[in-house]
Amino acid sequence: MNEQELHEAVSRLPKSIEPPRDLWPDISARIKVGPWRRWYWVPLAAAAVFVLVMIGRSIQPTAWDVTALAGRPLLGTHRLAASGRLRVGDWLQTDDSSRALVAVGRIGQVEVQPDTRVQLVVARADEHRLALAHGTIAAKVDAVPRLFFVETPAGTAIDLGCAYTLATDSLGKGVLHVTAGEVEFQTGLRSARVPLGALIQIRPTTGPGIPYVDDAPAPFVRALMTFDYEPRGTRARAIRTVLALARPQDALSLWHLLQRVDPSLRGLVYDRLATLVPPPPGVTRLGAIALHSRDLEGYWTTIQRIHFRMMALRGVRDVDPRTGRAVH
Amino acid sequence: MPPPDDLVARAQAGDQTAFRELYRQHAGRVYALCLRLTGDARDADERTQDVFVRLWDKLRSFRGESAFSSWLHRLAVNVVLNERRTTGRRERRVMPAEDPDNMAGAQHAAPLHLNIDLERAIADLPDGAREVFVLYDIEGYGHGEIAQLVGIAEGTSKAQLFRARRLLREKLER
Repeated sequence: MNEQELHEAVSRLPKSIEPPRDLWPDISARIKVGPWRRWYWVPLAAAAVFVLVMIGRSIQPTAWDVTALAGRPLLGTHRLAASGRLRVGDWLQTDDSSRALVAVGRIGQVEVQPDTRVQLVVARADEHRLALAHGTIAAKVDAVPRLFFVETPAGTAIDLGCAYTLATDSLGKGVLHVTAGEVEFQTGLRSARVPLGALIQIRPTTGPGIPYVDDAPAPFVRALMTFDYEPRGTRARAIRTVLALARPQDALSLWHLLQRVDPSLRGLVYDRLATLVPPPPGVTRLGAIALHSRDLEGYWTTIQRIHFRMMALRGVRDVDPRTGRAVH
Repeated sequence: MPPPDDLVARAQAGDQTAFRELYRQHAGRVYALCLRLTGDARDADERTQDVFVRLWDKLRSFRGESAFSSWLHRLAVNVVLNERRTTGRRERRVMPAEDPDNMAGAQHAAPLHLNIDLERAIADLPDGAREVFVLYDIEGYGHGEIAQLVGIAEGTSKAQLFRARRLLREKLER
C-alpha cells in the first residue's frame, strides 16, 4: 500500500461510530444536579471548606504515630525499631516478617500487614488519606463518614464509619472485606457500597465488582464475577444464574446489579429483588428502573437496615431476611 | 428535532432533556474520536462518558464563537489527552476481537474488511504515533495545534506522523 492508497483508505473511515452500548444512563448518573449545585452555593461552600481547613490545620498534627508490631518496617529511609512518625509524603514499607500499626490522626488506626507499602498523603482534621501501593491493611475508624480515605491503584476506599481489610497488588487487583459499618469503594466511573459482612473484588480497569455477603454460595459469587469481569457475551447467562440463586440475604448484590445491567434487563432484576425484599413505600418500579436516586436510595436504606439487623443478631436470634423482623 | 442552537441554550440553562438530545446527536462522533485516540474499546467507553460529564460542567462557557460540534470536538480531544497525561498508563492495546463491527461503524464507503484492518492497525500503533496520526490524518488538525494539544514540539509531531504512516503501510501490506 502506498501513501496515496493509505490516504484514500483513511478518508473513507466513518466519522461517527456508535458506542456499543447506551452510555447515557452512566452519564446521567454522573451529572445529577440538585439544589446544591446552584451557583449561589459555591461561594458559601468554598467559605465553609476554607474555615474547616483552617480549623483543621490549626489543631491537627501533620504526622501520624507508627509503632512496629513485628520485625523492623522501613519508614522513609530508616528502619523502624519501636515507634516513629509518619509524615505527609513518607512511605512505610513492611517486608514478609514485619508489621506496623499506624494511628490515623485521632480517629482510628491501620494495621499494616507484611509485604505492604503505604504512603501518608493527607493528614488533616477534615481529611485523612493513605495510599496503598500494594499489600494488605486492616483499618478501624471511629468517626463520622468520609473522613478517612485509602487510595489504591484501582480506586479509593471511603470510610463510612467502619472496620475493614483491604488488599491490593500493585496493578490494583484486590479485595475489600468489611467487618463493621460500611465502606464505599469508588473509581471515577463506578462505585460500590459494602456493608459489614460483605466484600468486593476489585480489578484495575473495571474497579469495584458487585458486593456480596461473605456466606454467599460459591456459584452465586462466580456468576457475579463473570458478570463483572468476563466479556459481554457471557453476561446474559451470568445474570440468569445470579437471579436464580439469589436469596433475600443477597439483596445488596441485586441492588448493585440493577444499576449495572443493560437498561432492557433492569425490569427483570428489579422484579427478582422485589420478590426477595419488598420495596419500601414510595419506591416505584418505574423510578427504580429509571435509576432515579430517590427510589434507589429509598430501597438501599431498607436493604441496609435489614442487613445490619441480620448481622447484629447473627447467632442470637433468627431474623426474617425479607423484612428484618425477629422470628419468634 | 429542535435546532442545535436551541438545544445548546436549553442545556446551558440546566435542561437535562436537551442535554440528552445533544448526547444522542454527538455520541457517535465523540466515541469514534475516543476509540481511535485510545485504541481501546473500554477506554473509549469511559472517555466518552468523561467528555459528556465535562461538557455538562463546561457548557456555560460555550459562547457560540465557533460551531458547537467543533467546540465539543476540541473538548473531547483535551479530555482524552489529559487523561493519558494524568494516568500515564496504557494497559490494553488490542481492540476486543468480539466487537469488530463496532470498529467499522454503520456506514461503509469502503469494503468492510479494509476499514476493520485499518482501524485495528491504527489501534495497534504506539500511543504517540497513533495520537498524531488520528489528529492529523483523520481529524484534520495541523501540526502546530497538535503540538499544543499533545504537549510536544512541532517537529516531533511531524516525525510521529511519518512513523505512524510507515507502520500502517507495513501492517496493511502483510
